[in-house]
Amino acid sequence: MVSDTQKLIISPSPHLKAKDTVGSAMRDVFIALLPVVAVAIYFYHVYAAFLIGVCLVTAVLTELLFRKLSGKKPTLHDWSALLTGLFVALLFTATTPWWKAAIATFIAVGIAKELMGGLGWNRFNPALFGRVAMILLAPIFAFVDDWFAPLATYMGSVDVATQATPLAMLNAGMEMPPLGQLFAAFPGGALSEVSPLALLIGAAYLFYRKHITWHIPAAMIVTVAVLTLIAGENPLYHLFTGGMMIGAFFMATDWVTSPFTDRGKLLFGACIGILVVIFRVGLSPTEGVAFSILIMNAFVPLIDKAMKRPSFSEPRKQTQAS
Amino acid sequence: MEVKTFQGGAHIPHFKSYTEDKPITRLSPPKEVIVPLLQHMGAPCEPLVKEGDKVEIGQKIGDSEETFSAPVHASISGTVKEVGKRTVPTGGEDDCIVIEADDGPQEFEMKQIRDPQNIDLEEYRKCVREGGLTGMGGAALPTHVQVKYNEQVDTLLLNGAECEPFLTCDHRIMVEKAEELVRGAELMMNSIGAKRTLFGIEVNKPDAIEAVNELIKDRDDMEVVSLAVKYPQGFKSHLIKAATGRDVPRGARSAELGCIVRNVGTTVASYEACVYGKPLIERVVTVSGPKVTKPGNYIVRIGSPISHILKECGVEELENHKVVIGGPMTGLAQPHLEVPVVKSSTGVIVLPPDMTREWMEYTDCVRCDKCVEHCPMMLYPNQISIYAEAGLHEKAEEWDLMDCIECGICSYVCPAARPIVHWVQRAKPEIQKLQRSRK
Repeated sequence: MVSDTQKLIISPSPHLKAKDTVGSAMRDVFIALLPVVAVAIYFYHVYAAFLIGVCLVTAVLTELLFRKLSGKKPTLHDWSALLTGLFVALLFTATTPWWKAAIATFIAVGIAKELMGGLGWNRFNPALFGRVAMILLAPIFAFVDDWFAPLATYMGSVDVATQATPLAMLNAGMEMPPLGQLFAAFPGGALSEVSPLALLIGAAYLFYRKHITWHIPAAMIVTVAVLTLIAGENPLYHLFTGGMMIGAFFMATDWVTSPFTDRGKLLFGACIGILVVIFRVGLSPTEGVAFSILIMNAFVPLIDKAMKRPSFSEPRKQTQAS
Repeated sequence: MEVKTFQGGAHIPHFKSYTEDKPITRLSPPKEVIVPLLQHMGAPCEPLVKEGDKVEIGQKIGDSEETFSAPVHASISGTVKEVGKRTVPTGGEDDCIVIEADDGPQEFEMKQIRDPQNIDLEEYRKCVREGGLTGMGGAALPTHVQVKYNEQVDTLLLNGAECEPFLTCDHRIMVEKAEELVRGAELMMNSIGAKRTLFGIEVNKPDAIEAVNELIKDRDDMEVVSLAVKYPQGFKSHLIKAATGRDVPRGARSAELGCIVRNVGTTVASYEACVYGKPLIERVVTVSGPKVTKPGNYIVRIGSPISHILKECGVEELENHKVVIGGPMTGLAQPHLEVPVVKSSTGVIVLPPDMTREWMEYTDCVRCDKCVEHCPMMLYPNQISIYAEAGLHEKAEEWDLMDCIECGICSYVCPAARPIVHWVQRAKPEIQKLQRSRK
């Protein structure tokens, strides 16, 4: 017999829910980055692991601090702080002083995300914002290098990656390593630049889990390929070096900072591609992808508005029925 | 086989295996029925009986002078116990007639009173009005109102999509009452002067498609349109678009598009109203859920309290469950079990705690665009939800909030669990106020 005292749940429709949550999606992106993390640690051993650890811890502490200050509940369970921390670490070279990576993480999580209103309200990709802030603020932090100099020596010699990065080699017109090697695994540059293959494996997982769509990466890659081809260069080198792969599949596709329609995503990706080529061919190639994405992040509201599709109920022009 | 559909929408696990093979059976009449005086969109009925009156099954007990209304009838024989406020399935309290059963006849006697070949539009309208017919698929428009237009209607579109998860009542009606359905369609098609009838059926009901096809294979004025299994395929606008290819601009009535859409259950019921004079006193209701011991498709008296239905179906444990009248995407969660089933109640669905999330757990929009990808109305539920939550109604209106059909896909796919439909429902009257003040 059904008793009257049993409590029934009342809430608005719909009463069914898809399984994905923000937390599970962010965790999936984290998982998708593990292959490249593994390759980075293979090449740079403890340096890579240490840098990643520093960024993860800083990200968590920063979020706790800012949430505490703003009187909001901590949202660590949504994985977004950890993910930002990992992204920041992957954007630095293995030999980057740990405090630089920590400050970048603090800026990414604290300023670019939390001060903007928290996850969902940030206009710029937090990790890229943190990374680029460190480039722009480098002169200010120069003196800090000296403070930490003794500590740096304590950490051991930093001879792991003194060779030029493939992107720098490409820009300087040096002889490039074989494409296959560059694609599979090749040391040099930021942690995320060691293996386009590992990034693609991660991206495939994100496609499979339907967290990203093909529009942005395809538009970005095709644009870069076509334009570099026109400029008379081998597009594959451009695609497999620098931040191109992590940018196309992980950074530009960030939910919060990309446009919401397919058409908008295509335009967004193509514009990033154009900017990347401008940076690489005409300006300094360092962090060209990061700057390109951040610049286009600023245009997202405009793209969203301009690309608004008509409602299903919008009266269409009368088509003559045959 | 050509399968038609529309843009957007989503595949939602449909949970129909609990009941899709369960033949329609009668549930014993309850000791007491609660018949709301308003079970349709439009004006409420005035009670025609008072406390203490004896009523017979099928007797008209409420009616209205308004055109946009439909009468209500006693679904059991007995004594009027009360005319007063009771909880209704659409939320809140409303006037109801409560009837206590006596030992009078409790089944409606089916005898033919009209020849289906000889019913014109006027008579047809009168029959469905007097029978209290309303849309039985959910929208609950008085049926007779929909056949009074003078516009040229060329197509009668029968809605057998049944896209809501769990629900199988229309499916079983098409399989078991295909003959009444086709006859009802013919009757309706002839009386409104339509040239053809299309049966829109989702392809996950092959037996229904076959049953209808078997009966209409020699006719060239009737055709089954196979529809993709996709939510919300059964919503009127999307059914019209998929089956006929016609656009459905805002504000347009389907008759203006040359199309009248009828739910299959309504079609069978209107046939019975015309030929047997049987008013809408019972309907097929899907009772389902993972923990319902005897899930099925039951003929239930209009006004039966859900406590009676759940008891008959072997539901015991309900702590922290949700009891939904209608489908789980658009139906309403009920506060207690003394709520009656009405003419538009397609199902009584019992959802255990692990199938449904408490709604307060939502977070800010993370712009994942899943709602934009799936919105069948081509809207931007993400933007709409942000503006509607903040009470920025003008901005919400700019993003076409008023076009929302409240199908619930956006909230279903939302990883931030945002109650978007709830905010839309809250904002609509406010925006209507704004629109009126502009005139």
